[in-house]
Amino acid sequence: MNYEPKQITLQEWDRRYEQLQQEQLCEGDYGGPLGRHVGDGDHRLLELKYDNSPAALKLWNFLLTEEQRLFKAQAEGKKIVGTMKDLGTVPVMVYSLENTVAFYPDGAWWIPCVMQHSAGLLKIADSLGIDESFCPVRAMLGAFVTGKHFPVPDQLICSVGATCDDFSAIAQRLEGLGHEVLWWEMPHRRRCEVDEAGVKLPGGFEAPKSQVEFVKSELERIKTVLEQLSSQALDDETLSAGIKKANVVRRCLAELRQITFTAEVCPLPALEMLIAEMLAIHYCSDQDETIVVLNELIDEVKARVEARKGILAADAARIFWVNPVADLQVMNLLEECGGRICGTEYLFSHAIDLIPEDIPPLEALARMAIADPMAGSSVDRAQRICSDIEKFGCEAVLISRIPGASHCALEGQIIGEIVRGELKLPVIEIEVPPVSDSIRPALRTRLQALVETVKQRRDK
Amino acid sequence: MKEVIYTCPYVPAEWIAAHGLAPSRIIPAASPSVGCAEPTEGVCPYVHSFINEVFNDTQSSGVVVTTLCDQMRRAFEIIASRCDTPAFLMNVPNTWQHAGAHNLYLDELKRLGRFLIRIGGKPPSNDLLTKTMIKYDSERRNAFADSPPQTNGIPLAILGGPLLKDDIQIFDLVERSGGCIVLDATETGEFGMCARFNYKKTKADPLTELAGAYLGGIAHPSQRPNSPFYNWLGSRLVERKVRGIIFRRYVWCDIWHAELYRLKQWTQLPILDIDVTAEAHVPPVRTETRIGAFLEMLR
Repeated sequence: MNYEPKQITLQEWDRRYEQLQQEQLCEGDYGGPLGRHVGDGDHRLLELKYDNSPAALKLWNFLLTEEQRLFKAQAEGKKIVGTMKDLGTVPVMVYSLENTVAFYPDGAWWIPCVMQHSAGLLKIADSLGIDESFCPVRAMLGAFVTGKHFPVPDQLICSVGATCDDFSAIAQRLEGLGHEVLWWEMPHRRRCEVDEAGVKLPGGFEAPKSQVEFVKSELERIKTVLEQLSSQALDDETLSAGIKKANVVRRCLAELRQITFTAEVCPLPALEMLIAEMLAIHYCSDQDETIVVLNELIDEVKARVEARKGILAADAARIFWVNPVADLQVMNLLEECGGRICGTEYLFSHAIDLIPEDIPPLEALARMAIADPMAGSSVDRAQRICSDIEKFGCEAVLISRIPGASHCALEGQIIGEIVRGELKLPVIEIEVPPVSDSIRPALRTRLQALVETVKQRRDK
Repeated sequence: MKEVIYTCPYVPAEWIAAHGLAPSRIIPAASPSVGCAEPTEGVCPYVHSFINEVFNDTQSSGVVVTTLCDQMRRAFEIIASRCDTPAFLMNVPNTWQHAGAHNLYLDELKRLGRFLIRIGGKPPSNDLLTKTMIKYDSERRNAFADSPPQTNGIPLAILGGPLLKDDIQIFDLVERSGGCIVLDATETGEFGMCARFNYKKTKADPLTELAGAYLGGIAHPSQRPNSPFYNWLGSRLVERKVRGIIFRRYVWCDIWHAELYRLKQWTQLPILDIDVTAEAHVPPVRTETRIGAFLEMLR
């Protein structure tokens, strides 16, 4: 390594970019200085701190150019599938086909943060009767109305049932605006009854065979629609190849998580890790490039670990983070307060676990889909969290409530009780709005208290 | 007779009764003073009251909760982990337009049946189930007669989620202000009633008819798509000559709240939005004044 790993500001990145260019920086066609994205309205970027590696630069540029990729794909005649709420299942089917691209309109929930409300998406949602009592994913409605943040998809597919009421209600409103939706049912994952046949799921849970078969039948309906849309057959061979490729991404992430979360000194910041994990859901609209981006990150963290270098103090409190955070800057804040992320459950662990390759592909996808933490009980989710805490050696848990989200009101209680009961670890719950500047002092105090608690426990 | 408590309209009372158990659809009291569930920001007041009602119940042999809403699904976990009463979570599908969803609901009824047997019920014969269904159907017909109530008051509909015990005052309040609720389209009222049974089909295959009448007959706004809800409502608003709608929703209930705007676009009728918070279950003076003003406007 010929530079010291550290977190830098956007302005510092742009200066570093010029320097790297002189050193023959290798970039994709989406490369460029990060600062240019502020010109697109992404004002929050000015408030964040970034990892200073070329791999992180590539990751950020890849993320922030997805919009252009989607519009370009549509202009090239590719079919665009807007897949909603399932977080990781339908895109595996879509990317198995040629000339089809999947993305999550749900991702618009970060636009109010990244653009610091300048896009006005939440105001549009307000005007459509979806006010702040709903989750920030309501920004998606505004994005559909303005048509500026992603192209209107050729097909919308939304999972309902054991999902969250906010999203289901917002998606219904979307249909009311004239966007036809293919609804598919995700049953609440339950435990097997006595003498009932069960199926082992990716991630370790078990579900009744009948439920897996039901989900498979739902995926059959989606398969038919995708075949019609793309004029291609999504046969077992094609889907199996798609699953293998999805697993390449998942293996990369598993390696990246393992190295980063268990390293003695934190080699990659929480913010970059969050974005890397998100790539598993729909590959930022380019599956091949996702693999390239993740491999560069893996090389970077390996080199840092080998050189015993990192971006945070070696005694940083090892925190397990639950739920995605609406304001990205809070990930920086945790690190400023002396913490580091050593485990995560961002509501899409099923998009990170490997999909079985030794069973018929649609059944494999059904097993993966029903392993969704949102589909199961909070008790299951807490068990998974406990298991990952032990795997990564976390010292405390931070549950980040999503404002207005129907599931957050009660599940935090359940998860907190189980983690405290089983592992005797400190747990705190915070609620983070899309732009948290006004509550920053209170958030800082709570995060500092958590870090102090962890460090005091070490001394005992 | 052992009692089984529930609140969701998709739980068929006939099915519980046919197992030799007493179905009891509870209408919780608002915010009982003795309760185990901590009041948490973001929790629907009804869900909170329901949890506390179950915790305080000492008579029932079982409680049935459904997945109809996200918070009730989580409420089940709290009840199951902290309460001694055996609890059952029933999957109610949101989709309805294909056979798979109906089969899922039918399978859930069978699973509910096994739970009822575990807590002391007996498996019903088809004959017993048929008789029970016909009895309940007949009682429902009597309770919700075809002809709207004869009244001089301004005909109103009340629409929304399930009511709490204290909410009965709203009906009196409306009458005192010169109106009359001719359509109780809350989940506790007519809206939460299943479709009438086809007796011929009931005799041939009672459980399938039961499942069809409930899943296909209750047009809840959580269904996706929820066009059946508007079809159900539209025909009744015309039939009852309704002149205004009281839309009663709980704060944090996304399912009903999200329909308010669409409802305003869909109907020409004036709508009074009453949101119920955890702090104000009993109709306060503000609600009384608003209902009074609403009716004055309709005169």
